[in-house]
Amino acid sequence: MTETLDQPTEQGVSGAEIRLEKVTKKYPNTAAPAVEEFSMTIPAGKVVVFVGPSGCGKTTTMRMINRMVEPTSGVITIGGQDALSLDADELRRGIGYAIQQAGLFPHYTVAQNIAVVPGLLKWDKKRIDARVEEMMDLVGLDPGTFAKRLPRQLSGGQQQRVGVARALAADPPVLLMDEPFGAVDPITRGNLQDELLRLQSELGKTIVFVTHDFDEAVKLGDKIAVLGDRSSIQQYDTPDAILANPANDTVAGFVGAGASLKQLTLMRVRDVQYHTDEVLAVGDHERPAAVAEKLTKAGRVYALVLDARKRPQRWVHVRELAGRQDLSTVGKPVGDSVSVQSTLQDALEAILTEGGRAVVTGNRGELLGTIDIDTVTSVIANVREEHAGDEA
Amino acid sequence: MTAVAEGLAGISETRSFEEKPSVARRSDRIRLFIQPIAVVVIVAAVLTWVLAGDLNANESETLNLPTILTLTGQHILITLVVSVLVVVIAVPLGIALTRPALKWLSPVFLAIANIGQAAPALGVIVLFFLWTGIEGLWAVSIPLIFYTLLPVLRNTMVGIQQVDRSLIDAGRGIGMSASGVLFKVELPLAVPLILAGLRTALVLAVGTATLAFFVNGGGLGELIDTGYKLQLNSVMYVGAVLAIGLALLVDWLGGMAEVWLSPKGASE
Amino acid sequence: MSLWQYVAERWDRLSLQAWLHVSGVVQCVILAAIIGVAVGVLVYRSSAGSAIATALSSTILTIPSFALLGLLIPIVGLGVTPSVIALTLYGLLPIVRNTIVGLAGVDPAVSDAAKGIGMSRVGVLSRVELRLAWPAILTGMRVSAQMLMGIAVIAAYAKGFGLGSEVFSGLTRAGSANSLNQALAGTLGVVILALILDGIFVLISRLTVPRGIRD
Repeated sequence: MTETLDQPTEQGVSGAEIRLEKVTKKYPNTAAPAVEEFSMTIPAGKVVVFVGPSGCGKTTTMRMINRMVEPTSGVITIGGQDALSLDADELRRGIGYAIQQAGLFPHYTVAQNIAVVPGLLKWDKKRIDARVEEMMDLVGLDPGTFAKRLPRQLSGGQQQRVGVARALAADPPVLLMDEPFGAVDPITRGNLQDELLRLQSELGKTIVFVTHDFDEAVKLGDKIAVLGDRSSIQQYDTPDAILANPANDTVAGFVGAGASLKQLTLMRVRDVQYHTDEVLAVGDHERPAAVAEKLTKAGRVYALVLDARKRPQRWVHVRELAGRQDLSTVGKPVGDSVSVQSTLQDALEAILTEGGRAVVTGNRGELLGTIDIDTVTSVIANVREEHAGDEA
Repeated sequence: MTAVAEGLAGISETRSFEEKPSVARRSDRIRLFIQPIAVVVIVAAVLTWVLAGDLNANESETLNLPTILTLTGQHILITLVVSVLVVVIAVPLGIALTRPALKWLSPVFLAIANIGQAAPALGVIVLFFLWTGIEGLWAVSIPLIFYTLLPVLRNTMVGIQQVDRSLIDAGRGIGMSASGVLFKVELPLAVPLILAGLRTALVLAVGTATLAFFVNGGGLGELIDTGYKLQLNSVMYVGAVLAIGLALLVDWLGGMAEVWLSPKGASE
Repeated sequence: MSLWQYVAERWDRLSLQAWLHVSGVVQCVILAAIIGVAVGVLVYRSSAGSAIATALSSTILTIPSFALLGLLIPIVGLGVTPSVIALTLYGLLPIVRNTIVGLAGVDPAVSDAAKGIGMSRVGVLSRVELRLAWPAILTGMRVSAQMLMGIAVIAAYAKGFGLGSEVFSGLTRAGSANSLNQALAGTLGVVILALILDGIFVLISRLTVPRGIRD
C-alpha cells in the first residue's frame, strides 16, 4: 500500500497528489448533503488547510479522503490511484491520521502507540523498534525517557507529538490532521506548529489540515481553502492572496479584522526593499566634530554610530555632538533592531518602538540598512494591487 | 443471598454522586489489606476450636472436618459454576449488544436483567425449585446465573460504551479493522469495569450459595440451618463464620483480580 | 387454583404481611439513616476516616445475610430483633457512603461564606452542608430501601416479619396444592412493593430537594 502510493514527484517531496472530483456526502434522512460536489486538487508535498466555521463539512470532507466517511458519489484519487476501490483498512494504513487530543491508546506505552501501524503492516520487530526510535527523535522526544511511558504520564503537547509520530510511523505519503493542536495551550500550540513546519520542510508530505483558527491556517498552509456551507469552496489560494484579496464577504468575515497585519507575518525583511543609504553611518572612533561636519554636509540631523565590526550602537543627533570629545557615550543606544529573517510584523513593531525607523542587520549583526513605516505600507499596497486582478 | 444483591439496580444510580478517587482508592486498599487477615484469623480460630474437640456428641456429629470440607467444597463449587457461566454468557452477550447491528436490543436485555435483579434471590431460587422440581447444585446455580448476570452484562456494555469515541476513531483512522479495534482497544479498556462486575457477581454468588441448602444444594448454609434446627449454637457460629470468611476471601480475590488483571493505563 | 384466586382468598393475611414487610423495611432505613448520617458527619472531614468508614461498610455488605442471621440468632434470639439489626447494618453502606460523598462535595466556598456571615459550626453543618448533601443522602436511602426489601425475605427465616414467611412456608409445603402460589405471591409481592417504595422515594426527592440544586 505504502509502496504503491509513495511515488516522489519532485526533489524533497515524498507526498502524493490528492484529487477530489465532485465528491458528495449525503446522510440518509437529511434534506441537504453535508458535502456537495467538492472538487479540489491538493498538490503533492504541500500543506493545504481547510478552514471554515464549525459544521461547514470541512472535517467530513477530510475524512472522506481516508474513507472514515464513505462518499456518496464522486472520485477520490491519491497519487493517481482510486482510493475508493481499495480496501478501506488497507487504504488508511497508508495515510497518516492525527486528531484532536491525539487519540493515543491509554493502555499502550508511547512506543506501542507509535508501533501500531507498522505492526498492522507486519513489519518485523527489529524494523519497528528502529522506526519507533527514529520517529521519537523526529518529534523531539527522547526515546530513553519516553518510550515506556503511558500517555497519561505526558503533557498535552507531548501527547500531541506522539500523535504525530504515530501518524508518520509507516512513512505515509499523505497526512490528515483534524484540529490536532486544538486542545493545547496557546504557547504549546505555537511550538507544535513550528515543529510541524520544521518536520514538513524535511519530509515534504502532502498534508491536509483542518482547523477553525484562521491564524493557524495562515501560519501553516501553503494553500488555504476557506469553506462555507456544505463544504463549498469560497476561496482556494495561497494565504498571501487570501489576505490581500478575500474573494467574497464570507472569506472576508473569516479573515477578520487585521488582514493587513496578518499579511505582515507572511513576509520577511529580506523580501522587501529596505533602505541602504538613508542614514549616515559613522565609526565609533571618529571625532564628534568631524561627524557633525559630515552631517551638515549631507543635510541630515541623525548619525548611526557603528562599532569596529560594523554593528549599530547608538543614534546621535547633531546637537548632541557639540563640545564632545568622543562618540562612545553620546546619543541614545539602538534598541530594537531587525534581521533580514524577521517578519514584517516584527519590523513594524521595531519601527514603532524606535520612533519611525528600525535598523536592519545581517546574520552577524552588521548594519545592512534601515526600514521605515513607508516601506511597510508600500509593501502592503503592492501586494493588494498584485492580487487585485486575481478574481477578474 | 448477599446484601449486595437487591441493591445493584439502585447502586448504579448513585453513580451520579461519585466518590473522591482518593477516598475510594484508600477504602479499596484498606479492604484488600484487612480482609485476607480477617479471613485467616477467623478460619484459624474456628477450626482450632472445632478440632480441639470441646464438643458434645450432637455437636461433634456435625462439626467434623469431613463434613465441613464437603460443605465448603459444595459452596465453592456453586460459586465457581455460577461465576464461570455468568462470565461465559454475559461478556460475549455484552459485546454483541454494543455492536451497531444489535444495539437496539440492548435496552430490552438490560430491562430483563434489571427485573430479574429486582426480585429477591431466595424467592427466585425457591420458585425455580417449586416449578421444576430440580434439586441440588443446578437448582441453585441456574436461577443464580440469571440473577447475577446483570452486573457483568451491564459492566461489559458500559465498559465498552464508555471508551472514548475518539480512540475508536483514531484506531479506525490509522487502519485498524473493526475487530482489531474491538480486541485491541475497546475490550482492554473495558476490562477494569468488566472485572468490577465480575467481583460483584462473585460476591453475589458466594453469598447466595448460603441459601443452596434450601433446595438440597448443600453449602455452608446447611451448618447454620442444622444448628438452628438442633439448637446447637456452636454449629450456627461455625457455619456463619465460615460462610463470612469465604465471602470475604472471594471478594478479596475479586479485588486482587481487579488490581492485577487490569491493563495499566486503562483506568484512572 | 390460580394465583389470582389464591391472592384474593388470602388477601387479609397477605396484605398484613405486605404492610409489615414495608413498614419494617422503612423503619430500618430510617434507623440506618440516623446512624449513617451521624457516622458520615463524624468522618467526612478526614479522608482516612472516610476511607475506613467506607471500607468497613462495604465489608459488611459482603457478608452473606443468611450467615449474619446465623451469628445473630444465638446472641439475640429469634423474632424481630435479629431482623432489625441485620437490616439496619446492611442499610448503612449506601447511606454512609453517600453522606460522605455528599458532604465532601459541598463547595468549600459555600461553607466558608456561611462561616463568614457568622453561622456556628453546627449551623453551617445543619443549615448549609447537610441541606446540600441531602440529594445524595436521599439516594443512599433509596438504594438501601431497595436492598432491604430483598434481605427482609431472608430475615423471615428467624421468625421475622413480612412476605418472606410466605416464601418459606411455600418451600416447606413443597408438593402440596398451593405451595407454588404461596411462594409466588410472596416473591411478586416483594417486587411490586419495592417498585412502589421506589416511586415514593422519587416523590420525596421531588418535594424535598431544594430547587436550586435540582438537576
